Amino acid sequence: MAPLSVAIAVWGLVTGVAMVNSGLSITVAIVMTLTVFAGSAQLAVLPLLATSAPLPIVWVTALLVNLRFVIFAAASRKSFVMLPWQQRMLAGYLNGDLGFALFSRRFADDPERGNPVQWGYFYGGAVVNWAVWMGSSIVGILLGGLAPTDWGLELGAYLALLAVLIPMVHRLPVVAGVLVTGLIAVATVNFPLRLGLLLAVLAGVGVAVGVESRRPDGQSHGAVAMAADIADQGEVA
Amino acid sequence: MGSTAYLIAAIVGLTLVTIATRSSFFMLPARIELPGNVERALRYAPACALTAIITQGVLARNHQPYVSVHNYEMWAIVAAALVFAKTRNMIAMIVVGMAVFTVLRLSF
Repeated sequence: MAPLSVAIAVWGLVTGVAMVNSGLSITVAIVMTLTVFAGSAQLAVLPLLATSAPLPIVWVTALLVNLRFVIFAAASRKSFVMLPWQQRMLAGYLNGDLGFALFSRRFADDPERGNPVQWGYFYGGAVVNWAVWMGSSIVGILLGGLAPTDWGLELGAYLALLAVLIPMVHRLPVVAGVLVTGLIAVATVNFPLRLGLLLAVLAGVGVAVGVESRRPDGQSHGAVAMAADIADQGEVA
Repeated sequence: MGSTAYLIAAIVGLTLVTIATRSSFFMLPARIELPGNVERALRYAPACALTAIITQGVLARNHQPYVSVHNYEMWAIVAAALVFAKTRNMIAMIVVGMAVFTVLRLSF
């Protein structure tokens, strides 16, 4: 947990600095970090908020970035399904990238799903993750307000997103999808209402699914491995 | 940056998006499962969405494509991507990316 905490803290710091440097006030940035609690989605919508993009585009962009959590929820629901709905909702809200990766690796071979040991492990990790994340992002928000804008610290937002993206790009279908998305996104950047963004994502997902269906060896390796890829950034940070 | 009302509306919606995605299958009845073909599409969407955000942010300026040797952010991202692909070290990647950008900005 200690090396992961360092990674979470760096990531939170970068996110906090980037939020303020993109133009959010310190108050709005703190409210956003305390409620939204999804670093990659927060970073992804910053350029949209800075240009007052239409709200549906902001929300759909966050939704697309967060769709991986739907897969995580589907993969880990068996351990939580017997709890009351309030606890299921709370556990879901806390089930981010690192938490899911740790939990699913720890209990991958455990035939029993959902017992106090597993819940204790889950909530222990979730509380540490939440506290480190919130503390470091608020420090980043406060520090970000001190830095001159020509230092280019909003670039940090794109660098941090790159750290989430790169571990996801490891097989031919996703490589093809990402290349197509990048080309179309740049070519359509002048489209009104940032619709080029959605067009590029739809085309990229279509290409990735198409390539996968043609190449059986490009098949997925599942939600657990996907989360493990994302969490790997923490083990060497 | 938009008005305070715009930002509050944005934050409320973003919070609902977090809850809806993270808690999705925790709240649904057990008989509803994630169909395989839907899962495949969902799996690729985050990588594509992150790519679209990064490329539109770094390879464009004033709503026009900006792929040029003078695009310092582009070189910073390329250098950072190479460092991260090689080392998987986020701190090294951010330091290298910011250093490349700063050196180019101050040199030219």
